[in-house]
Amino acid sequence: MMQEPTTVAVSLLLLAPLMAGGLSLLIHTSSWLHLVNLASMGLLVMADVQIARTVLAHGSVTAFGEMIYVDALSSVILFIIATVGLACSLYMRSYMDEQVARGVIAPTRLNLFFFLFHMFLLAMVAATVANSLGVQWVAIEATTLATTFLIAFWRRRESLEAGWKYLILCSVGISLALFGVVLMYYSSLHILGDVSSALNITHLQQIAAQLDPHILKLAFVFIFVGYGTKVGLAPMHSWLPDAYTEAPAPVAAMLAGVLETVAVYAILRSRSIVDQAVSPEFSGNLLALFGLGSFAIAALFMLLQHNYKRLLAYSSIEHMGLAMVGFGVGGAIGVFGGLFHLVNHAFAKSLAFFAAGNIHRRYNTVEIDQVRGLATVLPGSALALMVAGLALAALPPFALFASEIQIMTALGTSGLPGAWGHPGVGGPIVLMLLCNLIAFAGFLSRITGMVWGSAPHTVSHGETWSGGHLSLLFLGLLLAGLCWVLPMPLRQLLETAATLLANR
Amino acid sequence: MSWLTPHIGSQLVDLGSAMLLLTCFAIVAQRRLSACVDLFAWQSLFLAMTAGLVAFLTGTRHIYLAAVLTVVVKVVVIPHVLRRAIERLNVTRELVMNINVPASLLICGALVMIAFFITQPIMSFGHLLTRDSLAIALAIVLIGFFTMIARQKAVTQMIAFLVMENGLFLGATSATYGMPLIVELGVLFDVLVAALIAGIYTNRLQDAFDSVDTSRLSELKE
Repeated sequence: MMQEPTTVAVSLLLLAPLMAGGLSLLIHTSSWLHLVNLASMGLLVMADVQIARTVLAHGSVTAFGEMIYVDALSSVILFIIATVGLACSLYMRSYMDEQVARGVIAPTRLNLFFFLFHMFLLAMVAATVANSLGVQWVAIEATTLATTFLIAFWRRRESLEAGWKYLILCSVGISLALFGVVLMYYSSLHILGDVSSALNITHLQQIAAQLDPHILKLAFVFIFVGYGTKVGLAPMHSWLPDAYTEAPAPVAAMLAGVLETVAVYAILRSRSIVDQAVSPEFSGNLLALFGLGSFAIAALFMLLQHNYKRLLAYSSIEHMGLAMVGFGVGGAIGVFGGLFHLVNHAFAKSLAFFAAGNIHRRYNTVEIDQVRGLATVLPGSALALMVAGLALAALPPFALFASEIQIMTALGTSGLPGAWGHPGVGGPIVLMLLCNLIAFAGFLSRITGMVWGSAPHTVSHGETWSGGHLSLLFLGLLLAGLCWVLPMPLRQLLETAATLLANR
Repeated sequence: MSWLTPHIGSQLVDLGSAMLLLTCFAIVAQRRLSACVDLFAWQSLFLAMTAGLVAFLTGTRHIYLAAVLTVVVKVVVIPHVLRRAIERLNVTRELVMNINVPASLLICGALVMIAFFITQPIMSFGHLLTRDSLAIALAIVLIGFFTMIARQKAVTQMIAFLVMENGLFLGATSATYGMPLIVELGVLFDVLVAALIAGIYTNRLQDAFDSVDTSRLSELKE
């Protein structure tokens, strides 16, 4: 069923970043670039709201001859893209202008930055709304290509190194995912026999139970490892800390908040098909074990960090691992907790990177030891960093506390899936709590050390209000608010998405 | 053409796939960067021929288009970009290898066996014509993956990535008679852009590090 406003909304969703990207190449004044950027983000948010309303009313939306498929799960992801994207656009207004004023980037390169940023957004939106798993793969590879120059945008030696590492590791990882997609197609062709639609999610979901389990198992392993590289699950995470450290702050916020989420979405999509043919324990085990492993490794590495951006990067790996445990354990609570965790992590991590960007600009260093007395130097950013830090350490009253408790509850009640754990076996949960404690201590001690203390005399004190602070305020309030009140539409979306994925 | 029975056709497709695998080994054994690029161009040509053969034998029209685009993108454009990149570099050979050539070849042989072992249970689902190609495709992907780890030059790493992509393309053509056209076009586009980006990167790495040896990229460490 297709209504006029929804078709418009879907085309707007794809056209807004595309047009904005094209326009950015033609415009040369900074204020116009920001205006185009904000206008396109505004359109994106409006289109997103319209689609979410239709999805809530009708369950799912298909458009353009089944090229586009949006259900509750993709709506949740679109919500994250739109919210973080909007906050990012607001933040970029002050951030990019200051970088130009300081001569870090030439004014002529500013439009290239915006072009790549919009292409990045376009690729992520396309990956989320694509009906065909093949098109989804193409879009996710396109995100790699669009972001590699964004990561290396400062053109320093370190950033070139980080960009190359990112390009090679993610391209290789994602090639493995393509092999998985080919295998998926191989199995579905036998049932469907139709060449053009055999990769469409809408078709695959109907016939998933008849697909060959051997092929699907192999396919899922390849898809999981491939997209898992993009999520940054250990041991495929080595590109991630470098890329997040070297990328400009708004790009790092988008990478950490949104791109990881989109990659998780791609895994969940394939999983919902594989689980119907293979016992859900197979994929559940894979997700939960890799999740636990990433969580533990990231927690330990966080203790070693002396660079605050790397610290945030490892915290990303940790939280993605945690969300994976939620999805792997499954059940209504586990999946809901995992999805909610993705939403909260996106907000908290982008807030943290915005604050880190402000700190970096003032102190000109990424070393934790050299940043002292933030509370007097940059009161606003110090508050933002504290809020993000407390939220990422999963303390109440922030929303990550709620989602982490949900995931812990799921793990505690049902244990790991399959032969690995029976209900009541406490090994995984003890490991999890222990690593949580390590991460908590390591993370908060670094953050508090930065906020208090006496400031070095070389940095100037005081912070003037700018448009960028609006996004800090927005995300901070959102994080605190979501812990207490989950607005009805969002809650419905999350619950519907959780029922789509719940399988135990 | 009555002489082209399915049996002979299947033999020819196997031959084409085997040629792809052979060029893979040659790339692993080759130290000169420009020769590696030439070998990659040959491999892509074999790939296009195999795809064309599959298209002819099965009457699947859209594979012809994919084969022609493969020739344009992977035999002409990408090798040209890579050669231009190599011309600017001050090193034309892989001097230090993480794993030497004989050991690399032995490992690649083992990878081929692993690929056949993994695909054994699912091979019976394939079309009669192209049954063995899936295993060969996986072998090529694994060898590309290995080359990426074993070699240090940025150009070689890019070629290894492209070899993996060739393996995937062979898998898609042989196992399923081609993916949906929009997917194939998208994949080719992505590969082309990736190669262009790598070309730009080698220039910048050369300027910044005075080398494209990725072992010099070691400033970012724990």
